Amino acid sequence: MLRTIAGGLRSLFLKKQAGRELDEELNGFLEMAAQEKMCQGMSHKEALRAVRLERGSLEVSKEEVRSTGWESFVETCWQDLRFALRMFRKNPGFTAVAVLTLALGIGANTAIFSVVYAVLLKPLPCPKADQLLNVFQQQPPDPSGQAWSFPNFEELREQNHVFTAVAGATRHQLTLTGHGEPVLVNTAVVTGNFFSLFEVQPLAGRILYPQDAKAGAPPAVILSESLWRGSLGADPNIIGSAIDLDKRSFTVVGVMPAAFVFPLFPAVTEAPQIWIPVVQDPLFGPWMEQRDLHFLQVTGRVKHGMPMSEVRSEMDALAVGLAKGFPAENKGWVVRVVPLQEMIIENVKSALFVLLGAVGLVLLIACANIANLLLTRATSRAKEIAVRATLGAGRARIVRQLLSETVVLGLLGGVIGIALAYWGVQILVALMPREVPIVNAIRVDNFVLFFALALSFLASIGFGLAPALLAGSGNLVGTLREGGMRSGQSAGSRRARNILAAGEIALAMMLLVAAGLLLRSFAKLTAVNPGFEVQHMVIAEVDLPRSQYSKPQQWIAFFDELLRQLHSEPGLKDSAVTIPAPIAYICGTVPFDIVGRPPISANTPRIGDYFAVSAEYFRAMGIPLVAGRLFNERNVMSAPNVTVISKALARIYFPNEDPLGKQMSFAFPPAPGVARQIVGIVGDVRDASLGDDPKPMMYVPFAQAPFPGAVVVLKSPLSVSSVVATLRRDVAKIDKDLPVSHIAGMPDVLETSVAQPRFRTLLLGLFAAMALLLAATGIFGVISYSVSCRTHEIGIRVALGASRGTILRMISRETLLLTFGGLAIGSSGALAASRLLGHMLFGVTAYDPATFVAVASVLGAVAALAGYVPARRAMRVDPMTALRDE
Amino acid sequence: MADKPNSDKPGDLIQGTLDMLILKTLALEPMHGYGIAVRIEQMSKGVFRVNAGSLFVAFQRLQRAGLIKSDWKATENSRRAKYYALTEQGRKRLNSETREWGRQVAAIARILEAS
Repeated sequence: MLRTIAGGLRSLFLKKQAGRELDEELNGFLEMAAQEKMCQGMSHKEALRAVRLERGSLEVSKEEVRSTGWESFVETCWQDLRFALRMFRKNPGFTAVAVLTLALGIGANTAIFSVVYAVLLKPLPCPKADQLLNVFQQQPPDPSGQAWSFPNFEELREQNHVFTAVAGATRHQLTLTGHGEPVLVNTAVVTGNFFSLFEVQPLAGRILYPQDAKAGAPPAVILSESLWRGSLGADPNIIGSAIDLDKRSFTVVGVMPAAFVFPLFPAVTEAPQIWIPVVQDPLFGPWMEQRDLHFLQVTGRVKHGMPMSEVRSEMDALAVGLAKGFPAENKGWVVRVVPLQEMIIENVKSALFVLLGAVGLVLLIACANIANLLLTRATSRAKEIAVRATLGAGRARIVRQLLSETVVLGLLGGVIGIALAYWGVQILVALMPREVPIVNAIRVDNFVLFFALALSFLASIGFGLAPALLAGSGNLVGTLREGGMRSGQSAGSRRARNILAAGEIALAMMLLVAAGLLLRSFAKLTAVNPGFEVQHMVIAEVDLPRSQYSKPQQWIAFFDELLRQLHSEPGLKDSAVTIPAPIAYICGTVPFDIVGRPPISANTPRIGDYFAVSAEYFRAMGIPLVAGRLFNERNVMSAPNVTVISKALARIYFPNEDPLGKQMSFAFPPAPGVARQIVGIVGDVRDASLGDDPKPMMYVPFAQAPFPGAVVVLKSPLSVSSVVATLRRDVAKIDKDLPVSHIAGMPDVLETSVAQPRFRTLLLGLFAAMALLLAATGIFGVISYSVSCRTHEIGIRVALGASRGTILRMISRETLLLTFGGLAIGSSGALAASRLLGHMLFGVTAYDPATFVAVASVLGAVAALAGYVPARRAMRVDPMTALRDE
Repeated sequence: MADKPNSDKPGDLIQGTLDMLILKTLALEPMHGYGIAVRIEQMSKGVFRVNAGSLFVAFQRLQRAGLIKSDWKATENSRRAKYYALTEQGRKRLNSETREWGRQVAAIARILEAS
């Protein structure tokens, strides 16, 4: 083996010497043979000639020997490469177009694949991430709850045999005071073994241990690197110092590096800034005793080698045990396990794959264009190829040489495409909607590079194979005699070009239909009336630290005072508070009972979205009153409990009766099971998202069900910043340590809520535009070339009396045939593909005829135009010049 | 590859067979290229006449496989010629191939004779 390599290398690099030796040896061989012949009486010359006839000529023998080593293959490849580069230098226009087209396709694909890889395919950045599972406790049919209560979590921890560790976490927000303005920080509330489960090392200090999670332990907190560097000024002595959270003093024991992305809350805006033990949290600490309050997201690390079936069966058994042991709280609850990575990417998987498919189609169209270019060029090189064949090149050799040209093209395009992708990835990351879970950084890393190069290679084989194979065959003598042009009309080549062009139209149609459907969906989505006023509305959240505001009366008093202050400000008469706020916040969905009806069961759920609002809320938000009355200042804690419901709730749960006067009771803290009388019905509001139907909603007066924090709603024609400044001032008047957070104008809130559909529509529209451009260029190229090939024929026809109109019709027929063929195939393809868009469509079906017709018209018109320009050139052909040009 | 004199090519040698013949030839003594060709012709009583191209291709192949080694030496006529010799590995290969060939030939003969 080594000898083979060595021998080959010697022949490659010491070519002259190796060649000389072979020469000498062969010459010697022939001489000796000739000597023998001469002994038989021939002359030297005759002898040599006889030897050559018998034993083969020197040149041929030399070539035979040389071509067997592996080095000759390498040599010919190197020759092909140099030749290809020479050809490209001689045809800069062709090279530029081909390389740029490919670069565009490869670049777009690489950029999208970077995103797909980082978000969907790359494993989580925790060690042994595939062992991590999310463990849910769910109560069917309510799909929203996934969280465990603390006592149940303890049972899971103690009783399981399949996990090496389980830990729980939840999200919260606490107020950090004492370092500049009071600020709300994202808080991760975790169980004691959380950090050891994820096997992370701190940047400084230590992690939280189970002893920090015991009741009575000194309050400890871990900071995130970003918070430490930000609000806390990268204080080098931070470990051991104290910070105030919700007016309680916590000791900083460690700092987590920025690279630690907590997989459960990966979206950038939710990234935890501090970690505290559950027992220390002002809200969730007291909930640790309650078995029926579910708030912990639990993750477990399975034991090495444990099969999923065993995990699932043990979890099922655990659920049964919990229901039996504690029927009041756990009846009807089941336990599910899902691999952590799967759960994170669930929502974005299909959208990303659709984008990947779309950009793949763009690459296909680009390849078809380049294939057409190559076919065109191959026919003009037919003479050169015929000469090669005559000199002895086998078909395989010719095909190999043509393929190597396309591979060089592919690599050039690939390299430029990768450069474009770097730039494209930056743009994508900037535009990416917030909710897309970015656990790994999105960038062009090694795997993506490898993908890009492989794709370039495949693409170049793809568009190079057909032209190479077609060029390699052919009528040698005819080609040499007639010159290149005529043989461009070979039926195979022409058919191939037309099929490619029609294919491009078909693919472009598929993309355009998809983009059109998404565009219509997006337009309909943004045109939805949310049911409340949007212009001039500003919302901001004010939170009260529980350590200082522990009683509900304090919460009522605070917000009463705040509203009084706000109402006295000029222009802010229409201010109100609500918790939560529609669209901007996740709704609290709670089940409810109707007094006098059978209680809810798993089969007949009654759920609605719960809102606690001040009396002016409906007027401020422009939500109309449909029947009964709104809340007023008499609906206070001491008065009878009331509620106002939405039209949807009335329609669904009180179909044939008047709900006014009936009573509902909700199981929701702080006052579970309180019966409330329905006093009014208001208009529907789209509270979850613009794309969802209005949910059944129930409102309670804030004064009767207060929260230690609410969203202030302000209606004012002034700018957001001045309104918020007024709010901050009024809040500070009452308590200067309270943060005002989550400030947003309502129009921005709505815009952000459709960020994902906007992103998809934008990208798909971009791809569709690229496809349209490429397809139009393709048609233009094909028809142009066809015209130039048929110049001679057109000249004859014109000379024989054909009118210019006839010529136009003749050329246009080819265009139209192409276009209609492409549109027909494209329509069926689009019908099949648009079904994949599925849930991304809003207000339009996947078969929306209007979109199909519009796209077909646009595409047809563009294609016709692209074919018309060369057709006009055909019309102007002067028969004299055409016939003279042979 | 090899031609019977004045006839078409029913005596085509397959690649491996030529290699074996070369090895056999060299088993007796080291030789230069022409000498090997002549010896093969002699030993086969004129059935196999190898042309230059195939012969030298075989030399390169055998040399790269480590079965023969080459050296420039002076011939009887004081010309320079490349002499080939069997290596140890080559000798071993020749023996095993000969045994194998013998087995196959016997087997085929048995088949052909059985009817």
